[in-house]
Amino acid sequence: MHKTAKRSARAAAAGVLALTLALTGCSSNSNSSKGGSASPAANGDDKAPATFSVFMAGPGQQPTADNKILKLIKEETGVSFNMEFLVGDLQQKLGVMIASGDYPDIMSGDDKLINAKAYIPLEDLIEKYAPNLKKHYADVWNQIKDESDGHIYVLPAYGVYQGKITEPTYQGPGFWLQKAVLEEMGYPTPKTLDEYFDIIAKYKEKHPDMIGFESLNFDWRVFPLQNAPEHLAGHPNDGAVIVDNNKAQIFADKDISKTYYKKLNEINAQGLMDKEAFVQNYDQYLAKIASGKVIGMFDQHWNFQDGETSLISQGKIENTYIGFPLLYDGAEEWYRDRGAVGTNRGFGISIKAKDPVRIIKFLDQMITEDWQKTLQWGVKGEDYEVNEDGSFYRTPEQRANADQTSWQLANKITTMQGSMPKIQGTYSDGNSDSPGTQPQEFFDSLKPYDQKILKAYNKKSWSEFFKEPKENNIYFPAYSIVLKDGSAAQLAQSKLNDLQVKFLPKAIMASPDEFEEVWTDYVNQIHKLDIKAYEDRINEGIQQRIEKWSVK
Amino acid sequence: MSDAVLDKQVKKQKTRNRRVDPEIGVSLSWKTLKIQKQLVLMSVPIAIYLLIFNYVPIWGWLMAFQNYRPALSFGQQEWVGLQQFRFLFADETFLMVLRNTVAMSFINLVLGTVTAIGLALLLNEIKVKFFKRIVQSISYLPHFLSWVIAAGIVATSLSIDDGIVNIVLMKLHIIQEPIMWLSEGKYFWGIVGASNVWKEVGWGTIIYLAAITSIDPSLYEAASIDGAKRFQKMRYVTLPGIKATFVILLIMNIGHILDAGFELQYLLGNGLTVDWSQTIDIFVLKYGISMGNYSLATAAGIFKTIVSVVLVFIANYIAKRLGEERLI
Repeated sequence: MHKTAKRSARAAAAGVLALTLALTGCSSNSNSSKGGSASPAANGDDKAPATFSVFMAGPGQQPTADNKILKLIKEETGVSFNMEFLVGDLQQKLGVMIASGDYPDIMSGDDKLINAKAYIPLEDLIEKYAPNLKKHYADVWNQIKDESDGHIYVLPAYGVYQGKITEPTYQGPGFWLQKAVLEEMGYPTPKTLDEYFDIIAKYKEKHPDMIGFESLNFDWRVFPLQNAPEHLAGHPNDGAVIVDNNKAQIFADKDISKTYYKKLNEINAQGLMDKEAFVQNYDQYLAKIASGKVIGMFDQHWNFQDGETSLISQGKIENTYIGFPLLYDGAEEWYRDRGAVGTNRGFGISIKAKDPVRIIKFLDQMITEDWQKTLQWGVKGEDYEVNEDGSFYRTPEQRANADQTSWQLANKITTMQGSMPKIQGTYSDGNSDSPGTQPQEFFDSLKPYDQKILKAYNKKSWSEFFKEPKENNIYFPAYSIVLKDGSAAQLAQSKLNDLQVKFLPKAIMASPDEFEEVWTDYVNQIHKLDIKAYEDRINEGIQQRIEKWSVK
Repeated sequence: MSDAVLDKQVKKQKTRNRRVDPEIGVSLSWKTLKIQKQLVLMSVPIAIYLLIFNYVPIWGWLMAFQNYRPALSFGQQEWVGLQQFRFLFADETFLMVLRNTVAMSFINLVLGTVTAIGLALLLNEIKVKFFKRIVQSISYLPHFLSWVIAAGIVATSLSIDDGIVNIVLMKLHIIQEPIMWLSEGKYFWGIVGASNVWKEVGWGTIIYLAAITSIDPSLYEAASIDGAKRFQKMRYVTLPGIKATFVILLIMNIGHILDAGFELQYLLGNGLTVDWSQTIDIFVLKYGISMGNYSLATAAGIFKTIVSVVLVFIANYIAKRLGEERLI
């Protein structure tokens, strides 16, 4: 009792101190050596039970009450969690949270929350209490600062690599085709839109029940419809703009877009496009993919992965997909990119958190290699084994377990871990961050069917269908440049999005001789908007990043 | 006979004291307050409730004249005058949204009232009590579904794959090919109207049925003696009997004409139908709350309130001129 009171008083004092430091704008660049002296032992005395409320900005399932990892965390650190997953619309939820000022202790990062000043600045806390985090983020320290005021509000979950980057599964954008289709068509490798839709047309002719090309135009998941042109033209995923020579411009009204949507208009006339594509919601989209009836689509892999997971659990592995990087003539491929530091995507500590020091110490502990292995691989001997040469692998049973949702809920904390700072790449002992990225483990874990397909293409992993990523531009990705709430730039972006949502389906579904008319109307509508405000803001952001982020 | 007398009395008192109970016809004076002090005491909590939840929040209207930022205190807010309102009325989308709201509301109002009265009249003619109750229960049960579920049912029945609507129309040879109902803006208002009728008709009927039961049976007997048939009784006894209820409900509903709904339009709408499906509430969510522009949302809210108040007064005035019951 007495001890607790003393500690919380101390913690509160530390919190106040940290805040004061932050408010007086103390520079945090130079004195990193001071933080290094805090040893893990210093964390050791903080084992008293504490419960933190956590809000995750994505849907997910509550881990079971006796979850193995949560139990381990509680035993070792005394920390337990009160997790809240997103239900319904994120923007609405955030709006309510901001309006009421009622924040949980820990929240997944979001620009909106940052704009509302819902997070406390973290740099001094990290400096003082989190040597491991400090080391982890050292290379990107400038990048993870908020662009508007230079504070660190959110600890990015992804994009901080160490060691070697090995990524056998490809999660990014691509034109996907079902493996069964590829197998039947003799393992073709489409390189252009024409070749791609030719495969779909030929296959659908033989199997009229199948859905040719699928798309999605729902809620915030409109990128399957919007993003294809930039990739076809050889640009990485910068969102609604393409950047040439550090100069951004929107591409929605450009020819690279027109060419693509005209092609979709043609295939729609041929009956290859799913009629309901633009009317359905995300669940219906996933259901279609999970039915195994969709021949192909353009999407980012993670966006339809739930559908694939369902296919795998149904044993229809031949209906899962392989992505192809299609290109316009003369364009240079840039589909794969090096994951940029997801600046505002990760955990931040809210202004309502009672014990920020404890939270940062906890997160600091979690970034150590031992904990990372536990979080990402599991418990040694239970979830993975170690070879005599020290490399990690899993037995077939362990793999089978890991695929099951019910097992995951009891033995992993997948969703929360998604927002936690994590090591990506390889550990100091050479093992990859998780089973999914360990090259040999990956290939061994594949079903014989997948191994057969890969052998037919003479490849070892799915990401090999794409070229090795080029070095990122320093500002990459432009879509993460923050637009101020209520600014002309934000309004223009939102209106542009509305126009796309409305006109692109119209253009695609119009009869081919009406396409020109709809397109002209669409472009005229775009030009009525204050697009310049949007482009100017993005360009300003690019310049700022080039200036501030350059590694010295 | 007594109606006219009572009416006059009420009018006279009205010039002196605004609040009058037309039933009792007693004016609200200190004396009556004293006599009815228990009643007054009982209404105090409600008055406080209204004050806190309905009047205090009006303070928030000031937001509409600011560039409101949640984190700042009142004194730090930036005042922008009528800029938010100017933005609203200069915005093409807002005008379209206004049109949609009024149109869908109007459709709902007319369809809702007509079908509810119609069903009430029909139910009233049913002599088998058991059957009447069953019909009533079935017709008002959808009222208790949330719109999320209701919209799911609507979307499923309208789907081209195996939606019941397309199947029935195909079997009846009314259409040759399944229609994608939700992809065409021109169908949208109709779909919303029909969904509303399906969901709310039974609920709306209840109040009319109650009004019908309060009609003096001797009027029906007199009508029978005068040789009125069933439809004539409906026309000359039942309908005038529920006129007062109808007018009061109409006045109340007109106040909600800018509340065309949010959920159904939000859940059924998509890019293709957005020009017909977006209502003021969705607009407020999208350009106000989602973009952190609470001022704009408030401005739209104020606009809605003012229009509603004006409409209620107009309706009330018309009702008064027509010599009907009125609300205020």
